[in-house]
Amino acid sequence: MEKRLIKKDALAGIAKKMTEGFLVWAPVKKEDNVIFAPLGKSDEPFFSYLNSKNAPKNVFFPHTETMMKYTRTGQGMAFSSEVKKADKSVLFGVRPCDAHSFVLLDKLFDQEKYKDEYYIAKRQNTTVISLACVTPPYTSCFCTSVDGEPVSSDGADILLTDIGGDYLAEFITPKGEALAKYFGDTKADAQADAKKADIAAKAKEAIKSKIPAHEVKPILDVNFDNPFWNTIHSKCLACGTCTYLCPTCHCFDISDEVKGSDGVRIRSWDSCMFPMFTKETSGHNPRSSQKERWRQRTMHKFKYYVDMFNAISCVGCGRCVMYCPVNIDIRKIVEDISKL
Amino acid sequence: MQNPYVPYPVVVDKIITEVDTKDIKTFRFKFVNPEDEKKYAYIPGQFGELSIFGKGESPIGIASSPTQKGYVEFTVMKAGVVTSALHEMEEGTLMGLRGPLGNSWPLEFLQGKNIVIVGGGFAFTTLRSLINYMLHEDNRKRFGNITVIYGARNPGLLLYKDELAEWAKRADLNLNVTVDKGDATWKGKEGFVPAVCKEVAPNKENAVAVICGPPVMIRFTLPVFFELGFSKENIITSLEMRMKCGIGKCGRCNVGSKYVCKDGPVFSLAELDKLTPEY
Ligand SMILES: Cc1cc2nc3c(=O)[nH]c(=O)nc-3n(C[C@H](O)[C@H](O)[C@H](O)COP(=O)(O)OP(=O)(O)OC[C@H]3O[C@@H](n4cnc5c(N)ncnc54)[C@H](O)[C@@H]3O)c2cc1C
Ligand code: SF4
Ligand code: SF4
Ligand code: FES
Repeated sequence: MEKRLIKKDALAGIAKKMTEGFLVWAPVKKEDNVIFAPLGKSDEPFFSYLNSKNAPKNVFFPHTETMMKYTRTGQGMAFSSEVKKADKSVLFGVRPCDAHSFVLLDKLFDQEKYKDEYYIAKRQNTTVISLACVTPPYTSCFCTSVDGEPVSSDGADILLTDIGGDYLAEFITPKGEALAKYFGDTKADAQADAKKADIAAKAKEAIKSKIPAHEVKPILDVNFDNPFWNTIHSKCLACGTCTYLCPTCHCFDISDEVKGSDGVRIRSWDSCMFPMFTKETSGHNPRSSQKERWRQRTMHKFKYYVDMFNAISCVGCGRCVMYCPVNIDIRKIVEDISKL
Repeated sequence: MQNPYVPYPVVVDKIITEVDTKDIKTFRFKFVNPEDEKKYAYIPGQFGELSIFGKGESPIGIASSPTQKGYVEFTVMKAGVVTSALHEMEEGTLMGLRGPLGNSWPLEFLQGKNIVIVGGGFAFTTLRSLINYMLHEDNRKRFGNITVIYGARNPGLLLYKDELAEWAKRADLNLNVTVDKGDATWKGKEGFVPAVCKEVAPNKENAVAVICGPPVMIRFTLPVFFELGFSKENIITSLEMRMKCGIGKCGRCNVGSKYVCKDGPVFSLAELDKLTPEY
């Protein structure tokens, strides 16, 4: 594997240099938050961030996206699909948990039978550069419980690890190698490898928040009707924050918008936390209260996704834990389930 | 490859008002590009997304049989935004059709067996597709006895009246049409579907029951079939959940670990037992 060393303060320059040939998504400060945004000429990337408030899934799966355009004709509507040729892009400096989420989303959007070309077009044209967490950003991080690690190349084409004065850049995939020329020509030596291994082990050790995520699947298999489900939801506001910020949540709505004789069909993020999500025209709603909706959210992440794709659909980023306005904590829920 | 979110352009070729209340109509569509008809090769029990630009899409079971060439039919009840817009349409209008989506009635499993079809209300549509498929001369000998029990609230609400009259003349089909309450001209059976099932008492030997209808009908019909000795493997039904994408992506229609749009809508009772009772 190709490995290079770059000076720490060179990173922002590399990202900016890449904007000449790519659409570069990088962490930038927006008021008090850090979010991933396309890097403009005058923007400074902010790499000493903890994690972005929003998961960077919007790079491949935007909040709203045009799927089709149509025009009224004499007899009805003429239409055309809108799978845009995706810009050649770089997602620069994502946290390993969020890179892991792409591997999980791929399982859904890039399946054998139905391919989601909107997602795939952007995913295939994007090089993912992960920035390892050498110290865990938050006490609520629990990636090690859900098949992740703070220094992990899962889902990344290039992995950057801060090994002291330098970043070690590892070019994981051919897609990553193709960008090696931006990273100078200092080859990394065995010493850098050893340093990285040591840092990775320490970082892993430093993740203190742990949940029995792998233990709960067989328990969920047989506890759909457990009274436990009555105990989570009563304070939930159904605001959807947890699902919107979550890197692995993928539910969406499809709707039409018309202006004059032209219109678009768009998809936009939706949430299983919303009462209307499953409500049918007849008024029947299979998930009629927040209880069923919270059960769905938990089951989807820790049972259904495992049944469907053999993977837990939570990467332990802790966003839902941090930003839920009423402090519902998925870690506690999983913990409690493990004791049922 | 075809983008599964983009519909095929179709023209409304024919509209048939099915019921006295006029809120259920059958729409016959022709493909604008003849080659799309081949791409739309479907199996009874599958559904399509009817796509009206500016309004949205609705999942609707395919009511015609693949043995009927040159068009595809859907029977739609006027309900909300999309279905109401559809009911306003005129013949000749251009719109969209996605699919075919979902699994289907399990034709291979049904082959060689005696088939009991039980339908109630307007959920009869994909059963009609299956019946026409089995009755087609190329297919009839692949199936044993065919018994059909079909009920509606009153004679005016029966779908496919001309076809029912044709089927009644056939010797290779045991047709039992019933209404909850008849009117002055009604000469057929009166009574609820479960009662008629009891009366007809289909033999369980080598038989499969395919049941589709409103929840109350299903609730009272299933015990009749259990009593007749039908196993849960041999009772097949079709589910409905609110849908959008129809291809297992938008996360809306799952029942447990299965997406009704992609893994269903057809399940045996034995399969449903393994899922969560949330539909
Ligand atoms: C597999 C399947 C087969 C069906 N077959 C038929 C049929 O043969 N004939 C028929 O008349 N109806 C059928 N339905 C029900 C039909 O889909 C709804 O009545 C219809 O979507 C209502 O749409 P609307 O826009 O008129 O209502 P609105 O209330 O305006 O609905 C908005 C949107 O919500 C979704 N939606 C709402 N209710 C349902 C529902 N019950 N099922 C699925 N999606 C829903 C649709 O995307 C719809 O466009 C079927 C449903 C499913 C799931
Ligand atoms: S469920 Fe919560 S912790 Fe897990 S990936 Fe989603 S937002 Fe992060
Ligand atoms: S963020 Fe909290 S309050 Fe909002 S929907 Fe999620 S669990 Fe409920
Ligand atoms: S309708 Fe989108 S997952 Fe089934």
